Amino acid sequence: MRFWTFVLKNVVRRRVRSSLTIVGMAVAVGAVVALVGISSGFEQSFMAVYQRQKVDLLVQQRGVKQRLTGVLDAKLGDRIAKVPGVKQVNSGLVDFTSMDELGPVGVMVQGWEADAPLMKGLEILPGGRHLTATDKHCVVLGQRLADSLDKHVGDKLSLFDNVTYTIAGIFKSPTVYENGSMVVLLADLQRFMGREGQVSGFAIIIDHPDDKTEIERVRQDIAALGKNLEVTPTAEFVNSTLEIRFIHAMAWVTSAVALVIGAVGMLNTMVMSVFERTREIGILRAIGWGRWRVVRMILMESILLSLIGGILGTAGAMLLARVLAAQPSVAGMVDSYIAPWVILQGFLIALCVGLLGAAYPAYRGAQLLPTEALRHE
Amino acid sequence: MNNHGRDPFLFRTEHLSKLYPDGQVHAVEDVTISVRRGEYVAIMGPSGSGKSTLLNLLGALDKPTSGEVYFDGQPLSTFQRLDRLRVEKFGFVFQSFHLLPILTSLENVQVPMFEGRLSAPARARKAKELLELVGMNHRGNHLPQKLSVGERQRVAIARSLANDPIALLADEPTGNLDSVSAEGIFDLFAYLHREQGMTIVLITHDEEFGQRAQRTIRMQDGHVKSDVFCERRRIRTPMPPFAV
Repeated sequence: MRFWTFVLKNVVRRRVRSSLTIVGMAVAVGAVVALVGISSGFEQSFMAVYQRQKVDLLVQQRGVKQRLTGVLDAKLGDRIAKVPGVKQVNSGLVDFTSMDELGPVGVMVQGWEADAPLMKGLEILPGGRHLTATDKHCVVLGQRLADSLDKHVGDKLSLFDNVTYTIAGIFKSPTVYENGSMVVLLADLQRFMGREGQVSGFAIIIDHPDDKTEIERVRQDIAALGKNLEVTPTAEFVNSTLEIRFIHAMAWVTSAVALVIGAVGMLNTMVMSVFERTREIGILRAIGWGRWRVVRMILMESILLSLIGGILGTAGAMLLARVLAAQPSVAGMVDSYIAPWVILQGFLIALCVGLLGAAYPAYRGAQLLPTEALRHE
Repeated sequence: MNNHGRDPFLFRTEHLSKLYPDGQVHAVEDVTISVRRGEYVAIMGPSGSGKSTLLNLLGALDKPTSGEVYFDGQPLSTFQRLDRLRVEKFGFVFQSFHLLPILTSLENVQVPMFEGRLSAPARARKAKELLELVGMNHRGNHLPQKLSVGERQRVAIARSLANDPIALLADEPTGNLDSVSAEGIFDLFAYLHREQGMTIVLITHDEEFGQRAQRTIRMQDGHVKSDVFCERRRIRTPMPPFAV
C-alpha cells in the first residue's frame, strides 16, 4: 500500500464523514460562486449595454452621474450632428417603469428616435419589425422581457398609467440587461414623463473611433457647444456612472458577505472533521508516525475533500444561477453565466480555507503526547 | 543506534514519577526498575496501580514528571525524535487493539511501515508474512469489524511487529478476550520471546498468564510492591502458525 492510497482509502471508506465534509464544503463554495457569479454577471451585463452599442462619446448634463436625472434640450442634437467628425447622434431618454406582471422589479424603458442608429441596430427577431416614425403607441421588447410577460408580436401591453401599447417586435441582445428592457419612440416617452423637448443624453458615434486625438478633438468641440455639457468617452463613462458604481458596490458587498459566510462554513467543517480524529492521530503517533506524516495525511485528505466539494459546489451554483435566471421576477436582471474567474476563485478559496481549517487541528493533534491523544474521546 | 549492546539493560528507570494530569496524585512514584535485553516481564497489579503509566513511560508514549527512562543506556529525554524510537525499536499492543476501522488486516499491518524504508510491494509482502505468523493470513482482506476480538488482537500484534522491533510493549493484550483467544495470544508472545529473542513487557490481570513470564513485577499505588524473577519458569513455545 502506498501512502496516497492510504489517504484515498481514508476518504473513500469513511463515507459518512467524507460526504458530510464534502457537502459542507460544497454548500460554502456554491454560495460563494453563485453569489459572486450572479452579482458580477449583473455588473458585467450592465456595462455591456454601453459597450455593445459601439458608442464613442456620451453627452450629458454636467454634474449628473445618473442617466435618469439628466436633462438636456433635444434640439442640441442637431448642433452636435454638425460638429466635424461626428458620424451619428442618438438622442435618448431613459426611465424605469414597473409592471404588475413582474412584481416590484423595475423595467428599463429607452426612448429613441425611429431613425436613430441604436434603434436601427436592434436585432429584431423574425415576425417583428423596427419601430417607425409613424408608429403610435408601439413598443419593441427585449427577448427575455417578452418571455417573462409571455407576450408575442401583435399582443397588447398596458404601459404608463394604462395606455395600451402594441408590440411591434421583439429584439435579441447579447446582454441580459438589455434583453430585459423595452424601447419606445422618444416622443412617446417624453410625453408620458412630462419631459417634452428633453432628453437624458446623446450617444455619439464618430468617424474615426480609433484615433485618440480625433476623439479628444471632437469631445472638446462638443463640450464647447454649451456650458452645462459633459462629454465623456464611453469607457470612462461606464466606470464613473452612479448606477455602475452602485452595482459594483452591491456586487462587492454581496461577494464579501458570501466569502465570509462561505469561509467560516468551510473552516468549521474542516476543523470539526479533524478534531474528531484526535484519537486516531494518537494511535498513529503511538505506533511511530512522525508529526509531519500525520499533518501530511490530513492535509492531503482535506485537499481531496475540498476539491470534490469545490466541484460539486460549483456545479450546484451553476444550476442555481440557471434556476434563478429563469424566474420571471428577476428576468433581465440575472444572468445564468458564471465567469471562469469566479469559479477559479471559488476553488482557490475552498483549497486555502480547507488547508487552513485542517492544518490547525492536525498540527495540534500531532503536538499532543500519544497518550493524551489516545485518551481523547 | 550506535551504542547498541553497551548497556545490559534494554530499559532502565531511575526514580521515575508521573503525576496524573490533575497534578495532585502520583500515578507512578519513584520507580526504579530495569529490564534486560530478551527478558519477558509481566507487570501486574490492581486497577489504578500505575501499570499502564509505567508501560507508557517505558515506551516513550508519555513523559515523566521527574526521573528518567533509559533505553539501551541512553536517556529518553535526550532523544530528538521519540517517534523514530517508537517506530524502529518498539511494537505496541493495546487492550482495545486500536486498529484503523477502515483498513483491512493487511493494510493495518502496513501502517507503521510508511515510516520505514520498504517499497510498497515489499510492505505488502511483509504484511502477509506477519499475518501468516500470527495465523491470520486467511483474514487479510477483512476489515476489523468482521473479525472476532481475538483475531483483531492478532492483527494488532502483527502490526506491532511491522518494523522488526526489539521490544514488544503490551497493555493488557488479553483484557477484552475470552480465555481461548487469550491462550492463543500468550502462545504467540511466548513464541516471539523464545524463538525470536524479543524483549516483552506486558501488563496482565490474569494470574496464570502472569506466572508464565520470566519475571513478575507487582505494583500498588504507583510503587513497585514486588519484583520476582524465576529463570526456570517453563514457557510453552508452540510453533506458528497459531490456531485462532
